[in-house]
Amino acid sequence: MNILRQIEIENMKASVPDFGIGDTVDVHYQIKEGDKERIQVFSGTVIAITGRGIRRTALIRRLVAGEGVERRFPIHSPRVADVRVRGRGKARRAKLYYLRELEGKATRLKPNMGKARYPRSLKSKAGQAKQDAPKQDS
Amino acid sequence: MTLGILGKKLGMTQIFREDGTCIPVTVVQAGPCKVLQIKVVAAGEHPEGHRTSTGNRGKKSGRQERTRAADGYYAVQLGFDDRPARTSSKAALGQAKKAGLEGSKHFVREFRLGEAPTVKPGDDVSASLFEGVTNVDVVGTTKGRGWAGTIKRWNFHRQPTSHGNSLNHRTAGGLGRMHSISKGVPKGKKMAGHYGVERVTVQNLEVIKVDADRNLVYLRGAVPGHNNGYLMLSKSIKVKIKR
Repeated sequence: MNILRQIEIENMKASVPDFGIGDTVDVHYQIKEGDKERIQVFSGTVIAITGRGIRRTALIRRLVAGEGVERRFPIHSPRVADVRVRGRGKARRAKLYYLRELEGKATRLKPNMGKARYPRSLKSKAGQAKQDAPKQDS
Repeated sequence: MTLGILGKKLGMTQIFREDGTCIPVTVVQAGPCKVLQIKVVAAGEHPEGHRTSTGNRGKKSGRQERTRAADGYYAVQLGFDDRPARTSSKAALGQAKKAGLEGSKHFVREFRLGEAPTVKPGDDVSASLFEGVTNVDVVGTTKGRGWAGTIKRWNFHRQPTSHGNSLNHRTAGGLGRMHSISKGVPKGKKMAGHYGVERVTVQNLEVIKVDADRNLVYLRGAVPGHNNGYLMLSKSIKVKIKR
């Protein structure tokens, strides 16, 4: 296996929550305030996923007081404690940037009724690769 | 002037610290290297078994043994990456054989030292050399850009795209002097030309991690050249002052 890929797998989270474009998710993000750590939840629609391996990021869009807010999360960052899927959305594009132009009811996505349209086994795949990674001697 | 190591740029990725900070790292395959030769100031300092050299110099009398001359400086010559015998020169194979190796190496460089080297030809040098080292200097060969204009090559400004400018958007502009002191174009004037494929040293790259088992060194930031390009790594000559 490509050694760079192997290094990435070693540093990646063993399991990544299973979500995709169009899903509505809650991102649990650890923030530090002085000495205290607390979890902040950012919930919105996944409108873009970029990068491969440990460099993978998700762009989440939500509306706050009528104003669109977008935030990009590095999925493998230890700060991203959890990603919970609230609903599956049906997306016919890889990037949902068109949602920025829309308002109100038009931003709704059709729910994806339990259809597996992207690899559900993202986490098991990465976990498996970690186990399979050949242990090199010296 | 300390011993460094030869390596290969594997590529870039990122690593997260526990507090969530993301570090851009270049992963370098540092070694394993073999010591091919030792350069010494005085002839007697050559290590045992390397004090003489043989050759017949085209004479019929056959192989002749001569005392090896002094090199006049201290250095260690390292070799990295095996080279198949069919692409090796006979001289390189002979040198490798003398150091007790099977075949020659692709990438051979010398590290100048201030004092007599402690290693001997045939010794291994591995990434563990950098354990405990905080900063390194990296020498590499930059990516080739071919024939490049002055904007890319010398960071010139471009000219206006409009306001009457015609077909002179990326040209160099004036070359130098007024008529009264006309002496032609000044020497060393920056112009378009071949850019890249140069030896470049990047100083003070932070060592994030040393993986001695796999001979990997993780450096913060970028190093010159493309992936799989050869590099020379050595301990930083300028130690970073922490503020």
